[in-house]
Amino acid sequence: MSFNWLFSLIVGGFILFFALYAASQFVKTSQKTTNTEIAASILSLFDPLETGVASGKSSQIDFVKQSQLVFDCSPNQNIFGEQRVRFFEKTFGDAYGEAGERISIKDKYVFVEDSIQGKSLYYFSKPYFAGFKVADLLMLYSDEQTYCVYDANEDFMSEVSGLNLKQIIFMNATTRCEGIRVCFGSNQKNCAISVFENEGYVLKENKKLYYTDNLLFGAIFSSPQTYECNVQRLKHRFDALAQIYLGKIEVIQRSSCSVTLGPILLGLVDFQIDSSKDLSAFQEKVKEMDAINKRAKDGCKVYYDVG
Amino acid sequence: MQLINEQKTGVKCIMMWDKVRNTMGKLEIQIQNILKYFAPLFLERKGQLKIQAQNICEYFAPSFLGKKAQLKIQEMAFMLLAVFLFFILVGMFVLSIVYSNIYESSNTIREERTLSSLVALADSPELSCASSKSNCIDGDKLIVLLNNSVYPRFWSFTSLKVLRLSGFNKAENELTSCTFANYPNCDIFQVYDKKVANERALSSFVALCMKESQGEYVYDRCEVARIIAGTQINFEGEN
Repeated sequence: MSFNWLFSLIVGGFILFFALYAASQFVKTSQKTTNTEIAASILSLFDPLETGVASGKSSQIDFVKQSQLVFDCSPNQNIFGEQRVRFFEKTFGDAYGEAGERISIKDKYVFVEDSIQGKSLYYFSKPYFAGFKVADLLMLYSDEQTYCVYDANEDFMSEVSGLNLKQIIFMNATTRCEGIRVCFGSNQKNCAISVFENEGYVLKENKKLYYTDNLLFGAIFSSPQTYECNVQRLKHRFDALAQIYLGKIEVIQRSSCSVTLGPILLGLVDFQIDSSKDLSAFQEKVKEMDAINKRAKDGCKVYYDVG
Repeated sequence: MQLINEQKTGVKCIMMWDKVRNTMGKLEIQIQNILKYFAPLFLERKGQLKIQAQNICEYFAPSFLGKKAQLKIQEMAFMLLAVFLFFILVGMFVLSIVYSNIYESSNTIREERTLSSLVALADSPELSCASSKSNCIDGDKLIVLLNNSVYPRFWSFTSLKVLRLSGFNKAENELTSCTFANYPNCDIFQVYDKKVANERALSSFVALCMKESQGEYVYDRCEVARIIAGTQINFEGEN
């Protein structure tokens, strides 16, 4: 073999390798960019679900291809804590393509499994009150998750039915359902998620997730890690809101209002919530605050409990 | 007569040809004589030149051929380098177009998020009216938010302000900024401003309610207001 041939082969091979490498990197980067854009766009779709004065809202997102969302949560990031989401999309065959960048969610509380996949995402929101409204809870699940709910109480059934949620089936003697068994009541055999209403907790993956108010939905639809993280994030939001209400007390006192809510509100800010187990004690204190607020004369209430 | 004339012309031609042949013969003899004198000398020198050429080839041929090969490789390398650089330039051009689109789409997404957040902002717990009214901002909460250092890190907007009805027809320098001291006799609530370059403002109309009292009677006085949020626009080459 002449030197010219050898030289051409080596250099040609190198150029070909470089070109293929550059092309594959370009495809990867493009995929990453697209997936990051999609993840960021999804967050915009969550905004219309702010409940305002409504008791709940629901919607769905449909993807063209099978997609996956991966969530993680840190409770103490940037004062309020944050969740992060990554988006994947199936490209060729059964494999998921390059993941998008993590997009941070600071002002939403998404109760979701650590990873969900499917062609459709269903989500609904419920307000969370601790005296005043603290935030909207956003429950997210996919078309690949079917919840078979056994012995649910009337309130739960009417709330879910009112939101017209898909993939949630209330079981009776004639219905058939294959999916995640959610059990209320006394019969808790072979259940992935058990709701103990009297004790105020949900048993999931052998972990007790304590709840108050609409956090019941959060406990059912999210992973234990996400739930506990979001409970702490909600407390951070409560603390920031409490500071606003403390300021508001000063303002409305100028309008001939005598408000005595300050000390108990400060007490609630100092209340430590290390895990969801502390929620019931926190809620007891909130009830005390509610009682004081209700005693205030009309027009001088610091907040109106519409929950 | 004609025949006799033709015969005469033929005889003339034969005689001329003989003359030419005789002259050529003389020239051949002259060249042969010259060669007889000079041929040995000439042949010797020709032989010397051959030997010299052979010697030169012996000494210089390998390096000359090597140089030729080197030139060929250099030519090829330059060609390859040129092709390589050309494709890199094309690649960079394509990337620059793609990345300018990324800036565009990031700006679009940011604006969309600002707009969707802005619409929902009036109903957020931080701003919503105490009495359950939709799309209503509580002025008494808003005034507290003015010196808050936490929320600029929570909301994605680069600036946030609420313009009261009294400020709608005023120029920017005529507006009275709200403070805890002059509230509610003011025009604009400057909640925060990160003072970023290339900011685009989006606005939405809301109801703004504030507590007022007449004697013992305390009530909410509501008016129309404009909530204005800013979002940063990124351009290629910045940041």
